[in-house]
Amino acid sequence: MNEYEVIIIGGGATGAGVLRDCCLRGLKAILVERFDIATGATGRNHGLLHSGARYAVTDQESACECIKENKILRRIASHCVEGTDGFFISLPGDDLSFQTKFVESCLKAGIDAEVYDPKEALAIEPSMNPSVIGAVRVPDGSIDPFRLTASNIQDAKSHHGTVLTYHEVIGLIRENDTITGVEVLDKKTGEKFKLYAPIIVNAGGIWGSHIAEYADLKVSMFPAKGALLIYGHRVNKIVLNRCRKPSDADILVPGDTICLIGTTSTKVPYDQIDNMHVLPEEVEILRKGAGELSPILDKTRILRCYAGVRPLVASDNDPTGRSVSRGIVLFDHESRDGLKGFITITGGKLMTYRLMAEKATDLICEKLNVKKKCETSSLKLPGSREDKETILKKIYSMPISIKESLIYRHGDIAEKMSNEDGVNNSLVCECEEVSAGEVLYAIDHMDVNNLIDLRRRTRIGMGTCQGELCACRASGMLGKYKKKCSYRAKEDLSLFLNERWKGIYPIAWGDSLRESQYSAWVYQSVCGLGDNNKTKDDEI
Amino acid sequence: MMKFDVVIIGGGLSGLTCGIRLAQEGKKCVIISSGQSALHFSSGSFDLLNSLPDGTRVTNPLESLSDLSLLNPTHPYVKMGKERFAALAEESKQLLEGVGIHTKGSYKKNHYRITPLAMVKSTWLTMMDFLSTDDPKTFNCKSFALFNFVGYLDFYPDYLSEKFERMGVKTQKFSIDLSSVERMRRNPSELRSTNIARLFDEEEARKNLIRILEEKAADYEVVLLPACLGLENANVISELSKAIGKPVYVVATFPPSVAGIRAQYLLKQKFMRLGGMYMLGDTVNRVDMKENSINKIFTVNHGDIPIVGDDYILCSGSFFSQGLVALPDKVIDPIFGLDIDYSPNRQDWYTANVYDKQRYLTFGVETNNDFLAIKDKKIVRNLHACGAILGGFDALKEGCGSGVSLLTALYVAEEILRK
Repeated sequence: MNEYEVIIIGGGATGAGVLRDCCLRGLKAILVERFDIATGATGRNHGLLHSGARYAVTDQESACECIKENKILRRIASHCVEGTDGFFISLPGDDLSFQTKFVESCLKAGIDAEVYDPKEALAIEPSMNPSVIGAVRVPDGSIDPFRLTASNIQDAKSHHGTVLTYHEVIGLIRENDTITGVEVLDKKTGEKFKLYAPIIVNAGGIWGSHIAEYADLKVSMFPAKGALLIYGHRVNKIVLNRCRKPSDADILVPGDTICLIGTTSTKVPYDQIDNMHVLPEEVEILRKGAGELSPILDKTRILRCYAGVRPLVASDNDPTGRSVSRGIVLFDHESRDGLKGFITITGGKLMTYRLMAEKATDLICEKLNVKKKCETSSLKLPGSREDKETILKKIYSMPISIKESLIYRHGDIAEKMSNEDGVNNSLVCECEEVSAGEVLYAIDHMDVNNLIDLRRRTRIGMGTCQGELCACRASGMLGKYKKKCSYRAKEDLSLFLNERWKGIYPIAWGDSLRESQYSAWVYQSVCGLGDNNKTKDDEI
Repeated sequence: MMKFDVVIIGGGLSGLTCGIRLAQEGKKCVIISSGQSALHFSSGSFDLLNSLPDGTRVTNPLESLSDLSLLNPTHPYVKMGKERFAALAEESKQLLEGVGIHTKGSYKKNHYRITPLAMVKSTWLTMMDFLSTDDPKTFNCKSFALFNFVGYLDFYPDYLSEKFERMGVKTQKFSIDLSSVERMRRNPSELRSTNIARLFDEEEARKNLIRILEEKAADYEVVLLPACLGLENANVISELSKAIGKPVYVVATFPPSVAGIRAQYLLKQKFMRLGGMYMLGDTVNRVDMKENSINKIFTVNHGDIPIVGDDYILCSGSFFSQGLVALPDKVIDPIFGLDIDYSPNRQDWYTANVYDKQRYLTFGVETNNDFLAIKDKKIVRNLHACGAILGGFDALKEGCGSGVSLLTALYVAEEILRK
């Protein structure tokens, strides 16, 4: 009666990593996600490829984990990673003796940390604050969480994995002391059904606490909100950190065409985790921190802001939550609570998603008596299997700028997104150079249901114009190729623009307000788009 | 020194309308334009008043004016009064006609336009070439042949045909595959409305298109095309219609709007033919004021050569055109530092649902009832403001942006002429 051996709940990087690991070890696995992949904390962080240096002084264990995974990800996920390196800078007023301790701790954790003369550091990274008094270079980088998750999913699918997005687990099926399956709601059709498997993995991140409650288990989580700002220019080429104990707004990461500053850290009530808005005081903290790292940011347009919720887990022996861990938490509920067939993998961070998946899958294999070892630290992800020169030689027909951005985003998958047909080369999104071919491939092969999903696969709507020009074009293509009726397609467009606005209005002044007014005129006035409940009756 | 009767700052719909009206009466005018105009994303129609501030739909703008005055006494239309409103609305249509922008519609009865997303929206004046209807539920014909260019992504035949079928008109979609468009497609960002439009300024492209239309549209009553045929040549549609012997209309594309760019061009040509001077790409950077009156202004391009007028008109637009500039904690007019009607608390500027009323869209300069600007709570004697920079109305929710631009421009021009 078990169609699957493993059911994974949650489509973040961890869930996708577990799915891939299971599939590579020959297990029949299915992943169930209530929205799209990478919608939770996975897609709502810095996209920083930590060297571990940030944790070196305060948390050696995390630092060691980070540098190991850093080296692995550069190899297996090269198309999602930019090895930019990072500077930890000290500014007037900062304690320079911290730098000495910092370098010692880094070296102890196995992180290359080299002290630079401040003038030399400034020459290498001119965007940094010119009053810098100390700089240490470490192997930080940037990583794209959306493409990383999508690539894990894609590889899992090519190894017989199954993915159900927009399917919510609404209950666990329990027989005596064993969880035997899950009850699932198809959010598109409203249909409910059951899935059975000997092992159910709870990889729901902060939402995992709620999943555990379905089995009357308690996993104490402490939701910590982190807000970030995205600037519309990539002002730095090297990650900039503040060389002091981890604090608010002290990391500036370059990624794609932008750079972003983060984060803040505030405890939020669990019932608010689906309702994150960036507050004016958070915007101020972030602007101040950004301006200190790189003064030009005081004059740079802020594109948008967003907030994520870190899944911090309280230690089992400390219900007050005073000793929360940022480390990886793996609960075997059989040994912990006497409940068979159910495990929870949580805590950790984007950097350690693969290691988390490995640990969870090791436990799954132990339970299912599968001997195959984990290979995810050496097997490359789709997109990272060929070097750029090889890929470049396979694509003839594309203009160079589109070809470059396509390869930057998708590595060796780029070949499948290009063809000899001029129609597919036409640009859908000018800001990010997304071609019609890339959009079509994403629609056909990457579980894209709507414009917001499409954004996560391709960067449509993430550039300077925030979807003002490309959203309509992409919506037209989605409507055509997904056979959506025009009502659904417009509703989708309407939701997409509202989702963009949520990240814009907290920072809407200057050029961002200009752009917003333009978008409002074009979509609401010229095109007549309204709230989705009003588009049905459009005669105004 | 450069001396004019009237110095107009802003060269969009409002500034040009002002300039044309004043120049027609022999006033020596200059327009200083930074080069951006909201006309560039026009829908092909001009809205006068589609909704009242409480959301009530308007079918007869003139009759709804009394309700508007109760709901929003600071609205520019209310300031000018019902009689002037009616007269200036009629005058606007005539002015556009005289410029070569031929429109249908009346200020006493809204009709309906078709948006690029196939919505049916009420409006005041629609350019003659555009498809429109008096009855929002249907059209006055049986069948449409709807064409699009292969690979052109800013026009949506699927949405349109679905809508037209629902409105009871049989609609067949066709592709136009012209070799000249095919060539353009090789450069991925070339296939946009303005580039296609330019092709049809050439006779060869028009001839080829006529051949395609004759062949494919034979069994249909009306031919529909994307509104991007001919950039300088405004007669492409009538030529096509004559050649194939049946009605041809265009439907708005996603911006940039070819019809809007052409309208801007025609207005500017008219103004210059009447002797007006149009300073394109220039920005006012310094103002000399004395006792609440403007003495002279200076621009970036003209350095220390002052520009002097008896009267000044500010029609530099809203945020988009940078007539208004939003800083994190305030809203300013960067040229004169006029009094602005806005809320000092930024959180009041927006609501979280983008489709709800956004207060920032109603911010603008304060004026008296004759649109004389106010600075430090005192009237500036020789500075009027008109168009989108005015406060007190919501162009988006009320559907009155073009109307306010045209009517306040004419109102101000006549105020100055009356002096």
